[in-house]
Amino acid sequence: MSTQAPILAAEKLGVRYGSFLALSDVTLSIKSNTIHSVIGPNGAGKTTLFHALTGRVRASSGRITLNGQDITHVSDDRRVPLGIARSFQVTSLFQNLSVRENLRLAAQGRSPLQALAPWRGVDPGGHALAVADEVMERLELTHVSDRAAGELSHGQQRRLEVGMAVAAKPRLILLDEPTSGMGIDDVEAMKALIRDLGRDHTVLFIEHNMGIVMNISDTVTVMRAGRVLVEGPPAVVRDDPEVRRAYLGNMITGDLA
Amino acid sequence: MIYLFQLVNGIGLGMLYFLLAVGLSIIFGLLHFVNFAHGAFYLLGAYLVYDMTERGLNFWAALLVAPIIVGALAALTESVLLRRIYHLPHTFHILVTVGLALMVQELVIILWGPVGGNVPTPDALSGVFILGDFIYPQYRLFVIGLTLVLAIGLWGLLEGTRLGAVVRAGSESTDMVSLLGIDILRVNTAVFALGAGLAGLAGALAAPIRGVEPFMGVEALGIAFVVVVIGGMGSYTGALIAGLLVGIVQSIMTTLWPEGARLMIYLGMGLVILTMPRGLLGRA
Amino acid sequence: MNRASLHFLLAALVAIALPLFMRSGTLASEVLIFAMAAAACNLLLGYTGLLSFGQGIFFGLGSYAAGLTLLHTSLPLGVALALAAIAGAVVATGVGWLSIRRQGVYFVMLTLAFSQFFYFLAYTFKDITGGDNGLLNIPRTAIGPFSLGDSWAYYAFVALLFLIVFAALQRVASSTFGRTLLAVRDNEERARAIGFPVRNFKITAFAISGAVTGLAGALHALLIGVAPLSNIEYHMSESILIMTIIGGSGNLFASVLGAGFYVIVSDLLSSIWPRWLLLLGGLLIVVALFMQKGLWGLIERLVDALPMGRRSPIESPIQPESEGRGI
Repeated sequence: MSTQAPILAAEKLGVRYGSFLALSDVTLSIKSNTIHSVIGPNGAGKTTLFHALTGRVRASSGRITLNGQDITHVSDDRRVPLGIARSFQVTSLFQNLSVRENLRLAAQGRSPLQALAPWRGVDPGGHALAVADEVMERLELTHVSDRAAGELSHGQQRRLEVGMAVAAKPRLILLDEPTSGMGIDDVEAMKALIRDLGRDHTVLFIEHNMGIVMNISDTVTVMRAGRVLVEGPPAVVRDDPEVRRAYLGNMITGDLA
Repeated sequence: MIYLFQLVNGIGLGMLYFLLAVGLSIIFGLLHFVNFAHGAFYLLGAYLVYDMTERGLNFWAALLVAPIIVGALAALTESVLLRRIYHLPHTFHILVTVGLALMVQELVIILWGPVGGNVPTPDALSGVFILGDFIYPQYRLFVIGLTLVLAIGLWGLLEGTRLGAVVRAGSESTDMVSLLGIDILRVNTAVFALGAGLAGLAGALAAPIRGVEPFMGVEALGIAFVVVVIGGMGSYTGALIAGLLVGIVQSIMTTLWPEGARLMIYLGMGLVILTMPRGLLGRA
Repeated sequence: MNRASLHFLLAALVAIALPLFMRSGTLASEVLIFAMAAAACNLLLGYTGLLSFGQGIFFGLGSYAAGLTLLHTSLPLGVALALAAIAGAVVATGVGWLSIRRQGVYFVMLTLAFSQFFYFLAYTFKDITGGDNGLLNIPRTAIGPFSLGDSWAYYAFVALLFLIVFAALQRVASSTFGRTLLAVRDNEERARAIGFPVRNFKITAFAISGAVTGLAGALHALLIGVAPLSNIEYHMSESILIMTIIGGSGNLFASVLGAGFYVIVSDLLSSIWPRWLLLLGGLLIVVALFMQKGLWGLIERLVDALPMGRRSPIESPIQPESEGRGI
């Protein structure tokens, strides 16, 4: 457990869609180099939280700071060079582009202004491609590097989703239900991948699979109805009566070895 | 006094803009279909009235028949061609309806020549209405009256009747409506025909005021778009308020800067784009 | 030979072949002028996924800019052309910036509305633009020591510019910028999420498209000696778009095909039947529904069907496709 300042902190964060309050009064801090998970029943506001942290939706109230810097009003594309990257719950890749190109773009997105120059050839230094190749290896996708993203299997696509975040070389990676829809083998592989990512990144992820959550998280934040219910290490959260009630008692399963 | 005159002009113009835009809006609201042939319906409505009055038919009969013919033609096109492309991305709706609009425009030129013509105001309404210092052409007052009645009727249709409820429900979820056993295909055709008919009626009503010429469909389409962008797509009230706003602003500008009056509506649209993300009342 | 070089070679072949097969230097120039405009339109449509009904704005403004410069100043022809390109770029930046504040259908409607706006603007300021008559008697003297009076001499000049512009657009399309445009077209939200300021990319695409289209408009004004109101009318936007779609939005050379088809067929048919646009409307519907890869796709299919079998590799996934990916 590190005692440094948090890498990401949200203070009384609120998100309002019209009259609907999707997120209210959410305060949390993500410590550097930890694996931090967010769980909660459907509709708890977990994805909205991610949207707010990455800038996809604007916070209606509250503050978000990244390494002490206030990023509450920074647009989503500009948060990427600051060190945040995410994957989506519903696979959102460049379907018609190859796996390698998908990752090259994600790597290039770290320095987008280079790409804005219409005269500059593709990746003259080879840097973005090198990152793409590196990420493909880490995700075991090298064998499909030239295939269109839309043609991959579901499990491969979910891995590529994670890869898109990793390729931006962020300090903080947000993964939204990375194992959603995956078969058992893929889930195990993803679990190992997240743990591995946790070694050199700070990881914040949303999950429904308690086996993973309880097994690899350093901290768990439980959300309900747009608010934070409880936060703490897995064991504490698992035994919390409020959490039990929120999940109607029977959804915290999975091995806790 | 001149401002009162222009204000009333603006209301008349605005109501016509409303008729034009509300059809587009309803079609998009229910069918999620982008109809770039909407201007062609306006064009046809105007030319049908022109043709019939040229042949000696009574203006009132022409006014009644023209929108019905336009609606029927639209219904035919919808059931034969357009309903097969609803599921395609919007680009296809646009390209196909642009192609249709071009064909209609050329047909109009083939049938009636490239120059255009005039439609005389019906004798019964050729005079002026006088109230104190206020003098106003009778026909234009009639247009305002009729369009107001239609607007109320349309409102009643949408809010009060089963068809209206289906339309409103359908724009929320087409699947749900089908599951309730309502023949959604027929509803779609009816709505499309209604939207087209309203545009045709707008053209027919405008004909004695502005005459007819083959390229007026494009201008009508542009205006319909402006109104919909300002008022918000899918909103009856949005089309009404935006239509009136645009019509009134344009008319008042005619006194201040006559040549530039037509430009104002586009500038107004630009302003709305900059300041209001959904238009005034849009939901789509 | 890679794909881009092949397409450039084809473009060069077209430029060389036109004088051999056409009797009129004016018509040949028109083909290449609209080829430029269609390619510029394709940068927005095929690469960025933006269906713009505003190309006529830039074309018409380019015509007016060149006309005004040559009629009212003694600046040389080259400067007039440059000014037209700049005018196109500047206005396109403005129109693009405003229009992209809306997505999807709204964007398209906005470009059409702007097209109308500029038409009325040109009409209203008749003192500058000549209104219905347009700007007349635009001189086409010389560029440097080369006289451009003869129609084939002018064609040579247009062909040279065309090849330069085509190569430049190819460069843009295959650059990292161009690849990013493809990504924006494929999944705009994802492009934002990985750090690209999508708005800036779209606006830049607009600026480039506007510059080329403005240049084309200027060349057109010089070709016919007039900067007519019709160059800025909706119908011009519609025509350029139709050329781009009929050619195929998959690559830049397809736009050359589309423009060639439109200009040549228009010339052939309009003397037989002035209302040939009726057929064009029908063709647009057919292409949109059944031939989404346009003429280029047709040619590809023919080449594949030939007994020599596949001679080019399967299109790599990173090339733009027009498989109905919507707006």
